[in-house]
Amino acid sequence: MNNEIRSHHPDGQGELMAHAVDACVHCGFCLPACPTYALLGDEMDSPRGRIVLMKEVLEGALPLVEAAPYLDRCLGCVGCVTACPSGVPYGELITSFRGWSEPQRRRPLLQKVTRAAVLTMLPRPGLFRAGASVGRFAKPLAPLLPEALRAPLDLLPRTLEPAQPLPALTPAEGVRRGQVALLSGCAQQVLTPNFNAATVRVLSHNGIEVVVPPTQGCCGAAAMHTGARPLALQQARRNLNAFEETQVDAIVSNAAGCGAGLKEYPMLLAGEGEPDERRARELAAKVQDISEYLGKLLERGELEPFLPTSRPLKVAYHDACHLAHAQGVRAAPRALLRAIPGVTVLEVPQGDLCCGSAGTYNLEQPDLAGQLGDLKARNVMATGAEYVVSGNVGCHTQLQSHLTRLGSKVRVLHTVELLDMAYRGEL
Amino acid sequence: MTVAPRPFSTLAATLSRLLGPRKVLSSLSERLNYRYDAIAFGETPICVVLPESTADVVTAVKAARAAGVPIVGRGAASGLSGGAAPTEPGLVISFTRMTRLSIDPVRRDAVAQAGVITLAVTEAAKPFGLIYPPDPASFRTSTIGGNLAENAGGPLCFKYGVTGDYVQGLEFVDAEGEVHHLTRDAYDLAGLLIGSEGTLGLITEATLRLTSPPKFTRTLMAHFAEVGQCAEAVSAAIAAGAVPSKLEFMDRACTNAIEDYLHLGLPREAEAVLLVDTDGDDVETVEEERALVEAACRNAGGTVSRAETDAEAAQLWQARRSVSPALGRIRPQRMNEDIVVPRSVLPEVVREIRALGDASGLHLVQFGHIGDGNLHPNILFDPRTESLEAVHELAHEVARVAIRHGGVLSGEHGIGSMKLAFMREAVDAGTLAALWRVKHALDPHGALNPGKVLPTEVLPTELA
Repeated sequence: MNNEIRSHHPDGQGELMAHAVDACVHCGFCLPACPTYALLGDEMDSPRGRIVLMKEVLEGALPLVEAAPYLDRCLGCVGCVTACPSGVPYGELITSFRGWSEPQRRRPLLQKVTRAAVLTMLPRPGLFRAGASVGRFAKPLAPLLPEALRAPLDLLPRTLEPAQPLPALTPAEGVRRGQVALLSGCAQQVLTPNFNAATVRVLSHNGIEVVVPPTQGCCGAAAMHTGARPLALQQARRNLNAFEETQVDAIVSNAAGCGAGLKEYPMLLAGEGEPDERRARELAAKVQDISEYLGKLLERGELEPFLPTSRPLKVAYHDACHLAHAQGVRAAPRALLRAIPGVTVLEVPQGDLCCGSAGTYNLEQPDLAGQLGDLKARNVMATGAEYVVSGNVGCHTQLQSHLTRLGSKVRVLHTVELLDMAYRGEL
Repeated sequence: MTVAPRPFSTLAATLSRLLGPRKVLSSLSERLNYRYDAIAFGETPICVVLPESTADVVTAVKAARAAGVPIVGRGAASGLSGGAAPTEPGLVISFTRMTRLSIDPVRRDAVAQAGVITLAVTEAAKPFGLIYPPDPASFRTSTIGGNLAENAGGPLCFKYGVTGDYVQGLEFVDAEGEVHHLTRDAYDLAGLLIGSEGTLGLITEATLRLTSPPKFTRTLMAHFAEVGQCAEAVSAAIAAGAVPSKLEFMDRACTNAIEDYLHLGLPREAEAVLLVDTDGDDVETVEEERALVEAACRNAGGTVSRAETDAEAAQLWQARRSVSPALGRIRPQRMNEDIVVPRSVLPEVVREIRALGDASGLHLVQFGHIGDGNLHPNILFDPRTESLEAVHELAHEVARVAIRHGGVLSGEHGIGSMKLAFMREAVDAGTLAALWRVKHALDPHGALNPGKVLPTEVLPTELA
């Protein structure tokens, strides 16, 4: 698409955005892949429409405030990237655009406070736990509260699992075959502590030593994707330091959104100069999702065999957008599940469509997020599976919340939790 | 004969009052998003209507006529001729909310409103053991209304025909806002509207013929060291009596753009790749036909491989559907052509076009429905570094190759605004004048999609 973005924004981020707009041939192949287009059916709520809007704003032809409602409705699920034959890096475009535009936004006070609160609490498990504990008791008050406060309360579980401290080093069982560093995540340490525990057990069982660098922090994805670029940069630099100290084979993440976030560091730091740009590339090259890492062991025939299930088990696999679309990891988790004797892997209808969780989206756009969550839960139920597994805490919470609401008995687990159960003979 | 723009600030207000604000878009963001299709950017409309019924379309047309502004119909805007990109500010009627679809398995037809997604027809018909064959590459995005307006084709059209061949009846709203119901009897006015690109009326609903899918399909891929060999293989296979259901080719640049997107392991070094489906209800005949095509490919110097599974075949066809947009990886802009030439001259035509490309210093690539003789030479360019004049000149040269060999300019994309400049060379003056009279009879005030299909330079004097 013809554009004059470079002459208006002659910096690193401008170059990223111009490059993305260049690549768009406005063919419209992205339209059916976009969840908001599926729900709303107008061009402004499609990736192609949003690319045009961003271009017009960047060129000064359209006031930001006019385009903002449509750009805010983008989930950032990057389903359009999978559908795009001409290779538009849409994720880079929307992320950079949000970083550029956020300082110019004038948001209502309550929205500002909620955004700040989310970005402050998410990265701090202690604070998040405290907030979540208080929030649980406020749940009955939810109908009386403004929407901005109601949405986060709806998503909180009724009970919090006890915290599970992560050892700084978990040795390999048997012969040590490798060493990885684990990105421990933020909210998931509070909401789903078993994700990390199961990850560590499965890796260790396979002869992989796991280190948890103590100085690591939030990956920065939430800040990056909501336009809080300065905070994201600060968080990224902290992790560059924390992980560089470990001399590991791989940095493993079990949260699709966070893994994708680490892989986006080169984009985030573009224009920040050396050595940051190089360090970001080096770190990103080492990042692997847990299913990607275990999938490679499976491919090489090095994965410890699973115990068979006690009866035939139907498992639906839900593609987390930030795993399938953002990282291109689709085959590995399915192959791992199929490697459990007795498991049949089922595909979720309309599986390419986001579940509506999308980071902080279900807090900022609760209505659309709710519609997508409902659609996803119904599609999961249509498979007739006993379990649904995914590789992301956001999807997990969203699936759990909507399946429960619909009275479904389908159990929601992280992929690695199911693998862990298979090793323990609990299936 | 074009409509002079007038002050129209009231049009959006009038339409909002008549249709309700939910169906009317008038902010700048909204209007900027309804000015393009998949090849061209046009004028920003004054206002956009998203009708939910034929009655809404009638209201919109009457209001636009009263305001004296032109009317452009729009489906999903995946077209490749500028058909849905307005040449003047006016009213855009976007049909994407008119998605009612019903299947009648006894009559073996589908009744689809204009905004129904093409692929949705086959998906709805499948449970009844029926399909809707026309399969433009954009069928996941495109709408039936858009397909009818451009008389869209696709790979299956070689054996099964284009969109228009499946139309049994049409409902359309004319330039005065009157509703008409057409069948294919008497004067085939439906036939006239199909492919008229919204210049004669707005199609709101169609009754489409469905067919039984073939019981067996076999897929093969052949690759060649030279484009002409590929065309020779096609000509020879068809001359030998093969009627494959799909016969598609793409040249080296196309194959490489696709490989960069899908990573399927396609032969990057080959100058041409041919994809072929043979199908039918008798497996022996289907396999004999495939053997016939394979032999023709080998005789022409090609290397043949077969798709062993349905999944493999599906990937190859996804690759083919992605060619056109994947070319965006090579250069940000392009001039696309849609020529159709007699099959007997295919080898000369692809070689001449290749030679023109090589001599030009520009990126010229070729792909298309070679079984039909329908080729899509594309000139890929960067307007910041390459001369637009040189691009137009090369495009003209390519069009002349087609015309010189007895071909035509548009197989399936339509003329739109992109090929308007070539019309005077492709169609004689007397015929153009007759087409103008037809246009005038149905749209006397020139309100419907002005600036498309017919060049104004040849407007007969009595209509001026």
